[in-house]
Amino acid sequence: MGIMFTRLFSSLFGNREARILVLGLDNAGKTTILYRLQMGEVVSTIPTIGFNVETVQYNNIKFQVWDLGGQTSIRPYWRCYFPNTQAIIYVVDSSDTDRLVIAKDEFHAILEEEELRGAVVLIFANKQDLPGALDDAAIAEALELHKIKNRQWAIFKTSAIKGEGLFEGLDWLSNTLKSGGG
Amino acid sequence: MFSLFYGLWKYMFSKTEFHILILGIDKSGKTTLLEKLKSIYSNLEGLPPDRIVPTVGLNIGRVALPNAKLVFWDLGGQPGLRSIWEKYYEEAHAVVFVIDAACPSRFEDSKSALEKVLRNDELQGAPVLILANKQDLPEAVSTEELARYLDLKKLDERVSMYEAVSAYDGLGIRESVEWLVEVMERSKRTEMLSTRAGASPA
Repeated sequence: MGIMFTRLFSSLFGNREARILVLGLDNAGKTTILYRLQMGEVVSTIPTIGFNVETVQYNNIKFQVWDLGGQTSIRPYWRCYFPNTQAIIYVVDSSDTDRLVIAKDEFHAILEEEELRGAVVLIFANKQDLPGALDDAAIAEALELHKIKNRQWAIFKTSAIKGEGLFEGLDWLSNTLKSGGG
Repeated sequence: MFSLFYGLWKYMFSKTEFHILILGIDKSGKTTLLEKLKSIYSNLEGLPPDRIVPTVGLNIGRVALPNAKLVFWDLGGQPGLRSIWEKYYEEAHAVVFVIDAACPSRFEDSKSALEKVLRNDELQGAPVLILANKQDLPEAVSTEELARYLDLKKLDERVSMYEAVSAYDGLGIRESVEWLVEVMERSKRTEMLSTRAGASPA
């Protein structure tokens, strides 16, 4: 997986600084995905303002992860992490049907952010290994992805634990960014 | 300063923006068409066909012409994803329906998908361009043959055209775009959509 990752992303942004946000509710599998990609050490930081951001630096691309949902008071601080964001990877626990509505609301709230307007969106319908997990079409429906009309999006069924689907998704992402993005 | 604002004004208002849906069953060549459009009309390279994977979402291509801005929406064609198409109908000015003309065994599937599109009220009055794609392959059928095969009764009542194209080598693409712009500029649907857009603040 690490080698595939290198092939896809090594020359993608030239020397530009780029950022990819990996977002989703807690327990969606975001950190597991980062570890699966084996691109480097995951550094966890808890700034004084009190939300936990994990960062993996890969050449000039920063992957940054935090949980959505929960405290609304810290949200303004998220904006520090928005500039130069090329893509958002939104991770959903496909078996957690009770919280899909929250996942949807958080997702659309993030997309409204002015500084994230140009970012393309990759959705991972994760935890496909669990019984009762909804498929990609059902997750697309639940997240109301069709409301996205001004940027490119794609959804992939993944199992971060088994390492399935991640490469296909990242392949789409690197192709999309290469051919001009959103 | 004046010229700056004038430029912005011109940029924002002088060109109409048209939304064009690219539909069709899986493997018909929608994304290849989109990438070809990008490479013909902008200085973007476009992905080579062998790098294109099945679409499971939305790809967007923007084409700036002297007199119009076109936004192409390319939606995935796998059966499970076709339910998403309808959600984009309301804002579309026209539909491009792509058919793999070299694969007669799937014409029936294309026919029923296209009939469903034509029946939808949300797309009332939208011009439809039907592409007999993959003309670069020797076994591809002509537009006449395809039209005979599809035998679409619903098509008589709307602005439509068949065009033989190859998204692979670019045959017929410019003609297709020219036709689209021409019919969209004077279609009732464009009028209807701009009235609706004008009613709410942009």
